[in-house]
Amino acid sequence: MRKTSILMAVLFSLLTAFVAKAQDDLSPERKQAIDSLALEKVRDLSKYVSIIGNKSTAWSEANRVIDRAEELFMQDAEIGVSSIARPEVSYYGVRQYFERLMRLNYDRVEIDWFKIEYVSDLQRQPDGTYVGVITIFQKFRGYDKEGNLVYEDTTKKDITVYVKRKETQIGGRIIGFWDVLLGDMRVKETSK
Amino acid sequence: MQMKNVVFRLQRIGLVLLVALMALGGTTSCKSKKKLAREQAAAEYAAKVDQAKKDLNAILYDETSWTLDEKEKRFNTIKSWNLQDEEVLNLLDQVEDKLARDRADAQRKAEEERLRREEEARLQKEAAKYSNIENQFMGIAGAPDVMTANEKISRALSLFASPDVPVLIIISQAGGFNDYDRPTTIQKYLNYLKDQKTYNNAIEQVKYDGNGKITELELIKK
Repeated sequence: MRKTSILMAVLFSLLTAFVAKAQDDLSPERKQAIDSLALEKVRDLSKYVSIIGNKSTAWSEANRVIDRAEELFMQDAEIGVSSIARPEVSYYGVRQYFERLMRLNYDRVEIDWFKIEYVSDLQRQPDGTYVGVITIFQKFRGYDKEGNLVYEDTTKKDITVYVKRKETQIGGRIIGFWDVLLGDMRVKETSK
Repeated sequence: MQMKNVVFRLQRIGLVLLVALMALGGTTSCKSKKKLAREQAAAEYAAKVDQAKKDLNAILYDETSWTLDEKEKRFNTIKSWNLQDEEVLNLLDQVEDKLARDRADAQRKAEEERLRREEEARLQKEAAKYSNIENQFMGIAGAPDVMTANEKISRALSLFASPDVPVLIIISQAGGFNDYDRPTTIQKYLNYLKDQKTYNNAIEQVKYDGNGKITELELIKK
């Protein structure tokens, strides 16, 4: 009986180790899927930024989208704001940044993100988290009520991306998923 | 009188000679016919051997456009000739093996094709089964404005047991593992389609409750 228990324990440990190893050693296909997932989250954010900044978006819709955008970020993450009118960069909490974006003093705002790509590939850290940096270029245009362009700039921003494998229980089964969270969004350069 | 006897004897000798000549000539003629027949048979045999070698080599080295059935028919015909030529016998052995392999290959391919068609039909059936849900998702993603999208979301939600029904999205399938994105709810997912204006997943699995409402949705990235 005791031998059987020991054997079972050894087998269980081996199985657990095998599963853990399989999770750690990502095949190129799985790694590619995670890379794409993180990029997709940044593209999702780009759409949210555009909706929140859009003056024709209803207040309730903008708030709902802020909630969704906030879910993309780690707690305490900060977003940098710059202007060609001043040299310093201001950093705001995620919620505060989006609320300010919603209330910008323009009659019409256009925000477009482009050249969304990795500047530093996702690298596995000792705790199993994958960390990388994605860079984006943001074109901002603000118009007055006559439709005149009163401000525009292009900002390059770096977003740190954290991807961690987590588990949750759904319908009585354990689901292993990759949780992508965005960290700080740092301003790298601003130009007209 | 003596003269008459001489003539008579000469006539008899001539007759005997004639009979002997005729007998000899008849034997020679019979022998020629047999020889001719033998030669003809030999020529026919040689032609059959040549033809057999040609056809068997063509089958063996796939130098013919015959179907497998035609090849097998030809093989059986040649075999029925019972040719005792060593090369033909050797070729028959080789071709018999090859045809057996080809037949097995053809059966395997036919089975694979049957399975492929079955799988295709199953996928089509699956796709048709979920087409109503897929169409609703595409409708929300393609809605021209927020109001229209919200109306479509309300309609789509009626298919689900609650707005909190879990939605799982598979991002990759490899080595027996499913990798998922962070699970979400159907309400959030439908709003996501509205916001992002794109639906780029496919339905992998749907679970229903006793009332026919969806209780779990599993999608897979296209």
